[in-house]
Amino acid sequence: MLRRRFPKAFIERYSQFIPDFDAFLDAMQRPLRRTFRVNTHKATRDKVLELMSDLKPEPLPWFELGFSMPENGDSPSEREDARYGPHFPNLGKRIEHFVGLIYVQEAASMVPPLLLQPQPGERVLDIAAAPGSKTTEMSAMMQNTGLVISNDPSPTRVRGLIGNVDRAGCLNVAVCRMDGAALGRAVAGTCDRVLVDAPCSSEGTIRKSAQALDRWSVATIARFPSIQKRLIAAGYLALKPGGSMVYSTCTVAPEENESVVTHLLERYPEAEVGTAEIPGLKMRPGLSEWGRESFPEAVGRCRRILPQDNDTEPFFLALIRKPVGNSELRSSDLQ
Amino acid sequence: MNRRIRELSARFGMPTDVLGRLEALEEQETVFVGTPEVMSFDAVRPMRRGIRFARIYPYSLKPTTFGMQVLGGQATRNLVELTDEQAKLLINGGSLNVKADVDNGFVLLKWQGLVVGVGFYKRPVLKSQIPRFRSVE
Ligand SMILES: C[S@@+](CC[C@H](N)C(=O)[O-])C[C@H]1O[C@@H](n2cnc3c(N)ncnc32)[C@H](O)[C@@H]1O
Repeated sequence: MLRRRFPKAFIERYSQFIPDFDAFLDAMQRPLRRTFRVNTHKATRDKVLELMSDLKPEPLPWFELGFSMPENGDSPSEREDARYGPHFPNLGKRIEHFVGLIYVQEAASMVPPLLLQPQPGERVLDIAAAPGSKTTEMSAMMQNTGLVISNDPSPTRVRGLIGNVDRAGCLNVAVCRMDGAALGRAVAGTCDRVLVDAPCSSEGTIRKSAQALDRWSVATIARFPSIQKRLIAAGYLALKPGGSMVYSTCTVAPEENESVVTHLLERYPEAEVGTAEIPGLKMRPGLSEWGRESFPEAVGRCRRILPQDNDTEPFFLALIRKPVGNSELRSSDLQ
Repeated sequence: MNRRIRELSARFGMPTDVLGRLEALEEQETVFVGTPEVMSFDAVRPMRRGIRFARIYPYSLKPTTFGMQVLGGQATRNLVELTDEQAKLLINGGSLNVKADVDNGFVLLKWQGLVVGVGFYKRPVLKSQIPRFRSVE
């Protein structure tokens, strides 16, 4: 296998806490499997399997609507999506994709909604939503009822988000284009569930592109925690008492993960951290310390998805609950 | 029920219970449909509520492909069933000569039991109204 050159600082940082480190590096340089999710707004799982039987999609063991494509399961005309290597079928050219029966989505990216479990009729905030993989997934979980407030401040990315909401047939989505922190204040105390799929240094995308590795640096990582802390606090503020929130990133760096959750717990000590578990999906517990920082015990209930464990991108997940009886807003919250 | 929704459900024989629980909004000659919660959300001003359902022209109402894909499943009238080849041709923007038992005007295109888009029929030519996306194979 072609060995990518990982920067020395990358090796030094991550060999400190990532178990099976060689397997981690190997997995980080293997191209990602192509995966997709059945869009139940438009078709049943069985119908999609019938239509795509020529490609022999394989079910993900931990999500009945998620599938991966076997390598070389393609017809010659479908080879050619450079990001995924030559051996994976280009699902973007399939009728099923065009019609919105499937949504092409990385497997680990399907996990945050599964952990959040939005229910029909609820009000859900997706605070950093473009291009809409998780908005459309949650909209389907809610059976096109209730409200998903789907937000992203980037004009170009919002255009893609609206396109995906249309294509997926999401009748229960309102798309907003603003800073997530301002939106969290505007809907304070009203949401049953909140997803904060935060902007991050995206170390996970190293599996998709060699350029992501070239761009990697500790300085890049340092750019994200301040916005991540603002968004996790805004997400918490948006919750109703008794509501729950998932904080997720597609990056490994503890500064963007455990430190951000710790920040929330310092600011809102009553916030509860649930155990982030998905049956059938292997995940590793959150760290107890990193560098000079030690994290509260509750942070150990967060989970990290490592690429070698389930052949996915890496991901980080925290499940947070706002206890009932904690509805008072402090004036500082709204500033 | 909004009169635009009523007009399209009458043309395509769609049961009113599916559409009855939705609300519509008209803006810049476009009809959007969504859940009541989407339409009444007013904490901030969204860029978009629900999905595009139809475009209003002076003498006609053109249903959108994406709207009909999700809401046209139970339509009973003005439907054209397509073979695999016909579906690819129309999705890629082509037109067909067909004898179909439908009224002239907008029709729903069905492939494998699913509504894949909207066409315009003027006997005997069936023209795709499906937005150009990228070619399907
Ligand atoms: C990891 S991506 C979201 C992916 C998306 N949840 C999905 O599943 O398709 C992070 C997003 O955060 C957005 N973002 C950046 N700054 C933000 C802010 N201040 N408030 C809300 N979102 C922000 C970026 O534009 C980007 O689209």
